[in-house]
Amino acid sequence: MSTKVETALEVLQKQLNQPLVAALEVCARCGICTEACHYYQAEPIEAHMPSMRAEQLRQVYRSGHDWLGRLFPAWTNTSPLTEEKLAALAEMAFTRCSLCARCTVNCPMGVDTPLMMSALRAMGTATGNAPEVLEMLADAAIEKGRDPSIYLDFYLESIQEMEKELQQLTGNPQARIPVQKKGARKLYVALAGAHTILPAAAIFDAVDEDWTLSIFEAANYGVFLNDASRAKAICKRIVDEAKELGVEEIVISECGHAYYAMRWVAPNWFGEEFNFKVTSIVEVIAGYIQRGLLNLDPTANPEPITYHDSCNLGRKGGVLEEPRQIMKAVTTNFRELTPNREEAFCCGGGSGLVANPDVFDLRMLAGKPKLDQVNRSGASVVVAACENCRLQLGELSSHYGAGFGVTAIADLVVKAMRLPGARQTLEARMTSISESELAEK
Amino acid sequence: MTFLFLTQLLAVLAALFCITLFTVRLRAFVRLAVPKDRSQPRGNPNAGVAYALSLGMLPWAKESTRRHALAYLRGVGFHLAVFLVLGLFLLSPWLGLFPVPLRLGLAALCGLGSLLALMGFVSRFIEKSLKVLSTPDDYFAVLLVSLFLACAAALLLNLGLLPFFYLVSALLFVYMPLGKIRHCIYFVFSRLFFGRFFGRRAVLPHSQQGKVVA
Repeated sequence: MSTKVETALEVLQKQLNQPLVAALEVCARCGICTEACHYYQAEPIEAHMPSMRAEQLRQVYRSGHDWLGRLFPAWTNTSPLTEEKLAALAEMAFTRCSLCARCTVNCPMGVDTPLMMSALRAMGTATGNAPEVLEMLADAAIEKGRDPSIYLDFYLESIQEMEKELQQLTGNPQARIPVQKKGARKLYVALAGAHTILPAAAIFDAVDEDWTLSIFEAANYGVFLNDASRAKAICKRIVDEAKELGVEEIVISECGHAYYAMRWVAPNWFGEEFNFKVTSIVEVIAGYIQRGLLNLDPTANPEPITYHDSCNLGRKGGVLEEPRQIMKAVTTNFRELTPNREEAFCCGGGSGLVANPDVFDLRMLAGKPKLDQVNRSGASVVVAACENCRLQLGELSSHYGAGFGVTAIADLVVKAMRLPGARQTLEARMTSISESELAEK
Repeated sequence: MTFLFLTQLLAVLAALFCITLFTVRLRAFVRLAVPKDRSQPRGNPNAGVAYALSLGMLPWAKESTRRHALAYLRGVGFHLAVFLVLGLFLLSPWLGLFPVPLRLGLAALCGLGSLLALMGFVSRFIEKSLKVLSTPDDYFAVLLVSLFLACAAALLLNLGLLPFFYLVSALLFVYMPLGKIRHCIYFVFSRLFFGRFFGRRAVLPHSQQGKVVA
């Protein structure tokens, strides 16, 4: 047995807790989950069956944990892990599953296939079989967090420039983008680029929120690698900042995986219950609307608009109704995709796939069910509360010549706020983000 | 020592073997860690668990079972029949005391269960996606269960077949904890984790959706 295989098996062994073993043992191979997968919908081949993917890991698991499998491997389709198999399994877990959990929701047993694929990702990461780009992005974020002073001056300067844009946008010369403000109520964690800062800042300004901007980005590529130490290190920068500033709430920008990581997983990495809330900007905006704090004109968004449920935010995060409450308040022609909410299809770009240029074709293929859904809805604009989804949806639209636009929730809200400087400052900047911006990141 | 007694003894020993191995498996399972979820819940995990083990199992509760309603109901039917026959196994020495109409009704249910299991076996051969998934273990397990149910149906019609029923039961009990049939002991756990996950996030049951926490 090679060192790589040994390492991979050790990583698997460490992960064998009750939920994972239940997922490995309970499948009856009934195949009912098959069509739940967007990969299978796009290309109905056996490699795209969720149960078949999970079976690949089960074969390895059985070779170490199943009496019958060890005695008669052919009887239970058991096979030991080899380096070749490990590479193939990692490739599958990183590219042919977006961990969207649609199969889990559709499985009569509730088999947690994403948990198994995550276990494989961890095995792949530990043995050098993870996509290089994900490792680079995760390591870059960690490096940046080690010594923020290296870029802090430049960052503050760019925020000052952005503040001028905000003042122009809102028509309020007092509008500010506070950074490192101690005692602020909310710590807003944006993504790289002004497009996730300005709209949120305009909304915060409109409701007179006591907030401050994080000096770190929300994105967490360690999550995609299922590398707890990297993912925790990336989250730690923000958690430490929140504690130092004494905020009551961390508000994550419109980013599915960043929200999922900070809201649902980070407390487990840190082994503590945070003394601050973690919310998505989507929940915060919906709260403002509920309390009547925003003056909105839905006729500002008259085009047929639909909403795409990001898997991390929706099915895996529970933020299902708030986006719809916002849509109702800021649009006049909102239409649902079918299916939606916990049954929504993944766009095909989640779990790090968007960042991996090697899988562009596969991504376009896997996004086909979502594209068809959008086309059926007749919407000319798709709203998504996740940066990766927006990027994928935009590429799907241009790749297939569908012609729909893609935008973020906060952008629509700002449009509906009818701010005096919106035309000059925002509309140019707030169109959906481009690939170059991701590369910049 | 009669043949009936021998087969009965064999079946009881096999059942004890089955219970012992399941106990060993379950003990090993419960010794595994259960990750503690420290995130602030958005919904009620217990409501999710209750849903996962009840309404969430209904054929219209999810897209996949709506799409494959017949296959799903076939599976549900044959699993219910298995539990029925396991109950009958416990009552087997006293089956002669059952009124004939009751025995006939139970025989019909067992026969139907056996037929449903057999249909599952056939569909593993016919349906391409099922065929690629299936292992010899799958085929054998479903055939064995089908035989078990058919024997029960035959037994209820002719009590003289009791030794044959015990032999088949013994075979099933020996195989249960070794092959794929052992998935039954993990079912409740799997649904429990499923319910906790989606309940905590206020995704399921649907009545939990729509809470604005900001």
